[in-house]
Amino acid sequence: MISVGKIKQYTNVLERPLSKGKQEVSLSAFAFLFSELVQYNQTQVDNITELERRLEDAGYAVGARILELLCHREKGNRRETRLLGILSFVHSTVWKVLFGKVADSLEKGTEHEDEYMISEKELLVNRFISIPKDMGAFNCGAFVAGIVRGVLENAGFPAVVTAHFVPVEGQHRPRTTILIKFAEEVLRREATLG
Amino acid sequence: MAPVAPRSGDVIFANVERVNAELFTLTYGAIVRQLLTDLEEVDEVNKQLDQMGYNIGVRLIDEFLAKSNVSRCVDFKETAEVIAKVGLKMFLGITATVTNWDVEGTTCSLILEDNPLVDFVELPDTCQGLNYCNILSGVVRGALEMVSMKTEVTWLRDMLRGDDAFELQLKLLKQVPEEYPYKDDE
Amino acid sequence: MAAIYSLYIINKSGGLIFCKDYGSAGKMDTNDSLRLASLWHSMHAISQQLSPVNGCAGIELLQADTFDLHCFQSLTGTKFFVVCEPGTLHMESLLKYIYELYTDYVLKNPFYEMEMPIRCELFDINLSQAVQKDRVALLGR
Repeated sequence: MISVGKIKQYTNVLERPLSKGKQEVSLSAFAFLFSELVQYNQTQVDNITELERRLEDAGYAVGARILELLCHREKGNRRETRLLGILSFVHSTVWKVLFGKVADSLEKGTEHEDEYMISEKELLVNRFISIPKDMGAFNCGAFVAGIVRGVLENAGFPAVVTAHFVPVEGQHRPRTTILIKFAEEVLRREATLG
Repeated sequence: MAPVAPRSGDVIFANVERVNAELFTLTYGAIVRQLLTDLEEVDEVNKQLDQMGYNIGVRLIDEFLAKSNVSRCVDFKETAEVIAKVGLKMFLGITATVTNWDVEGTTCSLILEDNPLVDFVELPDTCQGLNYCNILSGVVRGALEMVSMKTEVTWLRDMLRGDDAFELQLKLLKQVPEEYPYKDDE
Repeated sequence: MAAIYSLYIINKSGGLIFCKDYGSAGKMDTNDSLRLASLWHSMHAISQQLSPVNGCAGIELLQADTFDLHCFQSLTGTKFFVVCEPGTLHMESLLKYIYELYTDYVLKNPFYEMEMPIRCELFDINLSQAVQKDRVALLGR
């Protein structure tokens, strides 16, 4: 191993010790990067639905990787097998690692058995973003929806995940809800597990 | 207004809101992956990463100026030091050393002590020509252009390509003075 | 605590990208605002040339009978200027603070195109908060 400053050169990236996850960058650095991600994708699409899909896809890859990283580092490679377990993992552990705090709330949908909602007063990714009036209900949180889908699907809980602005009474700014709709097989399995 | 002393990179970084570097690293990875899928050719991806960096740089410079209270640099040597000690620190939490100055004082190298863009990254055989960190060279180039310096910024050494350090070369091409809009000879 | 009449932001080419009236006695229409911005951009540039001192960065303060005009120009050429009641305090701090709001809520907005008019809700909201009288006093700390 050759040592240069803080960076050691290992022959194989797999031999490198996993970081403890304590290194930080400024929120601005992330915000500029995210803004460029959105701007680039805007040039690749014709409409808002496509933009949402591309942001979700970008987030998916992040979700898949953070799941692997966290399972190894924080859970000792233990796997969640129950629905509430994985939801709690997303709402607390994943959120804390990625966004510095647990999500504001986790709720079960009242109208459908297969729906759950994670809500935030304001998603970190949206902190500096103002959606132009002509983009309607578009929410850059589609990226976060993708992250959640990446985590859930790779943990064995396939779902459709979308991000929505939800108006709040008495507040000028809406909050964001990540809506999770689990696939049938997940609910069936959950039922058999009792 | 009395001039305010410039602030150190450490102080600024300690006072700004920070996020887990992993969010940053993974998001960057997602961007590179998207580009590889969209553009396929590694050279095109390198160009696009540089362009994206440039787009970020032209916006990021104002925050740098606002938070650091840096006034106009006396010479390019000062510029390089400021990038290494204040700029990289306040945004990425890393420091760099400035070395390898040429005689004219227009070319130098920044050796990065750390690089949050590349955690967990290994270049596959199909991407050996990829300048994974090209976004960073674009950022520096874009930022400097907004304060009237035309530069060439290139990676001389890249640890992802098997080198032993991350070395960024800064080359000042032209100092473009502010345009006075009412020149008599126009 | 005196009053702020209006705030302007000009891009480096002299184009007006933001303008806010705070209920001053004489409200200007859009064309007048554009003309004012263009005029100020020119005056600012000329003042740098007229200055007997080398390295002059342009007008920072203009004092008239009925108003003061404070101007801040970033090294990137963007100008922020505020028209206020004569003698209003803490305007330089306010302008620097507005510069930071600009770097946050305008420049980090992916839907904002550089040099174009600013239409960012978060910028408006935070700006309103900053301009409120008690907030301005706090900036003078």
